Amino acid sequence: MKWVILGALVLGLGLLGLYPLVATGYGVRFMLQLFMWVALAQSWNLISGLTGYVSFGHVAFFGTGAYAAGILIAVHGWHWAWASLGGGAASAVLAFLIGYPCLRLKGPYFAIAMLGLNEVMRVLVSYFEGLTGGGLGLSLPTLYASVEIYYAMGLTALAVTALAHLIITSRFGLRLMTIREDEVAAEAMGINTARHKLYAFLISAFAPGVVGGLFARDQGYIEPIAVFPLAITITMIVMALFGGKGTIWGPVLGAAVLFVLQELVWARFLYLHQALFGAIIILVVLFMPRGILGVLQQRYRLPRYV
Amino acid sequence: MSVVVTPAMVGQVIVSGILSGALYSMVALGLALIFGVMRVINVAHGTILMLGAYTTFWWFHVLGVNPYLSLALSMPVMFVLGVVLERLMVRRVVNAPELSSLLLTFGISIALVNAIQLAFTSDLRSVEYLTGALIVGPIAFSKSRLVAFGFAVAITLLAYWFLQKTRFGKAIRATSQGPQVAMICGVNVERVHLFAFGIASALAAAGGSLVAVMVAIQPEMGQVWTFKSFLVIVLGGAGNYPGALLGGMLLGLIEQLASFFLTTQLSEAVAYLILVLVLLVRPTGLLGGRAT
Repeated sequence: MKWVILGALVLGLGLLGLYPLVATGYGVRFMLQLFMWVALAQSWNLISGLTGYVSFGHVAFFGTGAYAAGILIAVHGWHWAWASLGGGAASAVLAFLIGYPCLRLKGPYFAIAMLGLNEVMRVLVSYFEGLTGGGLGLSLPTLYASVEIYYAMGLTALAVTALAHLIITSRFGLRLMTIREDEVAAEAMGINTARHKLYAFLISAFAPGVVGGLFARDQGYIEPIAVFPLAITITMIVMALFGGKGTIWGPVLGAAVLFVLQELVWARFLYLHQALFGAIIILVVLFMPRGILGVLQQRYRLPRYV
Repeated sequence: MSVVVTPAMVGQVIVSGILSGALYSMVALGLALIFGVMRVINVAHGTILMLGAYTTFWWFHVLGVNPYLSLALSMPVMFVLGVVLERLMVRRVVNAPELSSLLLTFGISIALVNAIQLAFTSDLRSVEYLTGALIVGPIAFSKSRLVAFGFAVAITLLAYWFLQKTRFGKAIRATSQGPQVAMICGVNVERVHLFAFGIASALAAAGGSLVAVMVAIQPEMGQVWTFKSFLVIVLGGAGNYPGALLGGMLLGLIEQLASFFLTTQLSEAVAYLILVLVLLVRPTGLLGGRAT
């Protein structure tokens, strides 16, 4: 069974690697966005799915990464690949500053603090016009290489998922899940919960920073309302929940199913599509708390490394 | 930036702070109530406030009803909505991990916000009633804020009296102090949950109706109010009802001070910074005792 899955994985990756050679511009763009959502949903999963600490402002890291990378490219002339990593680093620094105090708190405090963080980052980015262009936004030099961004985004999605695999199957991951189940017990067993949560949070913030940087490069133009909308956080959460939070492949599955549906059906109905996302959250929490993968696991006894 | 501070300016900051602070106290009392009895942070609290604002807007524009009279409609309607939400959904996650209740109310909030966007679009809407200000000496009182202050104080006092003096209010307080003991003493905890959610929603709706007259409204306004209400109960100590009243006043003053010395834009960032600092020093809030 393990070899079948591994084989399918290698075959799938090979096909995705060759895909831009045969696909249309729209096709490449479609997959690029799918990769973006996989990486984002997976990054939310790393903190919220594993530790139970809900981040309602994860888009703050996406936006911070986008602006950091945007400034590095537009002002300092960095190559987009290095700039995106810089975006990830900036997000991790922000995560440290905010996570160090807030992760010591009980879950609900953390959740709302993160909701505030996103608002505050948007306000700050609009306020410091000299650096960010304020409400007018920031334009990057033109680039004709969305295929390169396709590979970079795919690599990021793959890296975060591989990281999720590594963490979930490790002792570190087990400790994080212990915190989710019973934090007091975890503490009593000698787990340094504050430090574990902080590490998970830093890893979880780095990825959306890189994704934000690649997004900025791909779009060529960023503005506060485009990179700090609550809608991005909502989408990450819905995708991770729908596929199955706390699992390795759940966020990937959720992102794939929902992104395809969204592109093919709902994109035409802007508000209805958001309302539908709200309804999905409600239904999943009430009736399918472990997501699609959870239901499949119950029915088919899938191996643990799924 | 050098600002010459005169006594009149100080007076203006304090007056404005208290005027908006009373409103914060009323709205946050609802959130404190839900958190107190159910241990649920209701992320949809600000959304209910937004619905209250739209109720007032709609009645004003369609039927020309006096916006303050529409409180008599928005409060009972949102009370019923709150009760329905509790009965159908929130009840199922009360004892579940907090991840579930947070995500559930988040989902409810998104669904409601977008239903309103479908109905009213995202455009800014306003209720043009009572504009202008009352000038007393060097201090200006915005008329709509003054009336809102009056209503907020009256409604808050009424709610507070209800909690302190009535049998049902005592049942609510008993449940927040210890649901198990309350149950043993004959309190119908399920009914307390139901009514607490209803009352909290009515308080939020009152806030919405009053805000609609003061500033332009739009479907996503609720998020900021959820955050502010939470800030208030953190400042005052979560689950501590007098603390919510004090916290509201504090937030009003802090915001006015920040927008006076910095800019209105940055006052939100300052409020956030204060939240983080308070949580760092006192994780249970300024008046909070017990960490739960």
